[in-house]
Amino acid sequence: MSIMRVRWGPQHPVSGQWAFWLDVDGDIVVNMEPDIGYTHRGIEKIAENRTYIQNIPVVERTSVFDAGNIVFGYVEAVEELMGIEVPERAKFIRTIVGEMSRISSHLYGLCLLAIATGFETMLMWFVNDRELFLDLLEMLTGARITYSFFIPGGVQRDLPQGFYDETMRRLDYFEQRLKDYWKMFYLNRTFITRTQGVGVLKREDAIRLGVVGPNLRASGVEADVRKDEPYAAYDQVDFIVPTEKDGDAYARGAVRFHEMEQSISIIRQALKRMPDGKIRVKVPVAPSVPKGEAYSRVESARGELGYYIISEGGNKPYRVKISAPSFRNLPAMPFLAKNVPMADIPTIYLSLDLIPLDVDR
Amino acid sequence: MGIEMMIESFVNFLVNLLLSKPFMEMLTKVIIFPGLMFPLLFVVFAVWFERKLLAKVHLRIGPLHVGPGPLGGLFQLIADALKLLQKEIIVPYRAHKILYNILPLIMPMLSLITIAFIPVIPFPSAGPTNHLVIFYTPYSLLVVLALFALRPFLVIGVGWASGSKYTTMGALRAAYQLLAYEVPIMLSVASVVMVTGSFDLVKIVESQSNLWFILLLPIGFIVFFVSMMAELGRRPFDIPHAEQEVVYGWATEFTGVHYVCVMMAEYVDLCVVSTLITLLFLGGWLGPVLPPVVWFFIKFGIVVVLIIMGRGVYPRLRIDQLLNAGWRILIPLALIQIFLVFFLAKFTPWLLPITV
Repeated sequence: MSIMRVRWGPQHPVSGQWAFWLDVDGDIVVNMEPDIGYTHRGIEKIAENRTYIQNIPVVERTSVFDAGNIVFGYVEAVEELMGIEVPERAKFIRTIVGEMSRISSHLYGLCLLAIATGFETMLMWFVNDRELFLDLLEMLTGARITYSFFIPGGVQRDLPQGFYDETMRRLDYFEQRLKDYWKMFYLNRTFITRTQGVGVLKREDAIRLGVVGPNLRASGVEADVRKDEPYAAYDQVDFIVPTEKDGDAYARGAVRFHEMEQSISIIRQALKRMPDGKIRVKVPVAPSVPKGEAYSRVESARGELGYYIISEGGNKPYRVKISAPSFRNLPAMPFLAKNVPMADIPTIYLSLDLIPLDVDR
Repeated sequence: MGIEMMIESFVNFLVNLLLSKPFMEMLTKVIIFPGLMFPLLFVVFAVWFERKLLAKVHLRIGPLHVGPGPLGGLFQLIADALKLLQKEIIVPYRAHKILYNILPLIMPMLSLITIAFIPVIPFPSAGPTNHLVIFYTPYSLLVVLALFALRPFLVIGVGWASGSKYTTMGALRAAYQLLAYEVPIMLSVASVVMVTGSFDLVKIVESQSNLWFILLLPIGFIVFFVSMMAELGRRPFDIPHAEQEVVYGWATEFTGVHYVCVMMAEYVDLCVVSTLITLLFLGGWLGPVLPPVVWFFIKFGIVVVLIIMGRGVYPRLRIDQLLNAGWRILIPLALIQIFLVFFLAKFTPWLLPITV
């Protein structure tokens, strides 16, 4: 049988803002080539022409689904360059925002995994409950998605009145919802048949391909920057790094589920143990940064996110290199999408939680 | 003979025709119930009901605006259809022009013709049987299933005539699925026919006056229900239309009139299948106290809700899993049901309805 070359995207219901070339033999995909670059905005180049503070909303646009953690890494790198020590209270607030951002990002990723198998109900449930955390973030930061809340030296605002009670109430409700998810989604026989054994990424392959984040942990590697190199207040809260052995699409979904449970616990602990004090140290609007270079890494929702910033002095960076998690997970997709049925392509793609915005930057 | 005489005789003919009871009866059957109006109204109501029901499952509100009060969104489908009918007919460059334009128009016709052979409720009438049926034939079940089995060829034709890769893939999926699930449908219907000894849907319903076939032939019911869900392409079996995989399957290229026809055919098929399940296994219009028409609509509604709810609680299966389920589970189950009928006839013949 001859091989048909199918263009999958960018005008396709699940392709997102990029495209794949699929070589299809009957119903079997023999080869897949991602065609990236549709959303390349040159963020790294734009960042060279703006001051360090102006860059915060710019780098946030690499992946707005996880805006908290994306800015987290940038701000940490700038602080390392400037030699600023952040107040304790700011560290805890940053941890809370980072974990809320992780939960809302995981909910978004899981809703895409649900719709990849055609599960409309779970799509709606996940997106619906994402509002819980978007509202909380709005209460805290004033914006739902792109909040640009972290600044070098601390955070913009202190916790508003009633935030503690509201957060605890919503976390209790969300824990109940997680039980519903487990029954409706993870114990659903049809979902299990669709995802178990699909896109199996073995431990050694995952390490060799340089996969990061939940996808790596789903293959059985316990790697998490929050544990390995604790930043902010992660060394002062207790949590475990959930892992799965199988490395298939189901395991990747399950890891995200268990990470949300851990995030709830982290937010609770951080709210309870939060010290009083200042929320930021004073930093000028256009700070003059000494010559040097800094690398920071944080655990974003999609995996390890690195920022490499070089300063030549002055108030603008010489180079901002973003090592985005989706780009580091990208090689796994053509590797997994070999000799699989065409119906598994959306499952593999969306279980890896790849975001084209993040890949292109 | 003058022109006035001709006009007068023609008017007389028309008046006599309209006054004659059989003609008016037939006209009512064809146009209102169970003919044209019933499936069309069903389509409007079913689409609205499906959207509202799924919205409840999804924890959403659902359609709200086009329609009165709590029935908000009821006329949304009519508004959508009117909009779609005004659209330009776009024929893709690679499409087979004639087939692309004709085949989708045939699909709703084929589905609507099926309704003509299905008796719905008892009603004193001038025809050969005292039931609301447009064409009465003692082989009505066979005719309905034969008409139903024609659909895969239309689907394959449509997919090929559109001349696009995604429609071709969708059509091949539909071909695999629909042809594979014809077999368990026929086998499960065979058990019903064996018990009643007739292809006549009226007789099949009347022989359930003591015991509905869902209790007598439970395995046959399950096989028939699941296979019919697959034939309809409802989730978890909506593989031919899988949006995330093949965009909209064999109907990807359709806009405007063609899209309206395809969608209408799908929902008329839902109506046909729900009616068939009601008649074959749920005792049709039979039931105590309430009038037959009420019983029929209660059972019909329950079946429709069950079929629609598949979309709320299941993801989609993969084509190989679906074919495995068809060939390896449903067909053996249907055969087991047939052997069980043998045993019933041998050891407990008093359970079976007595037929002539």
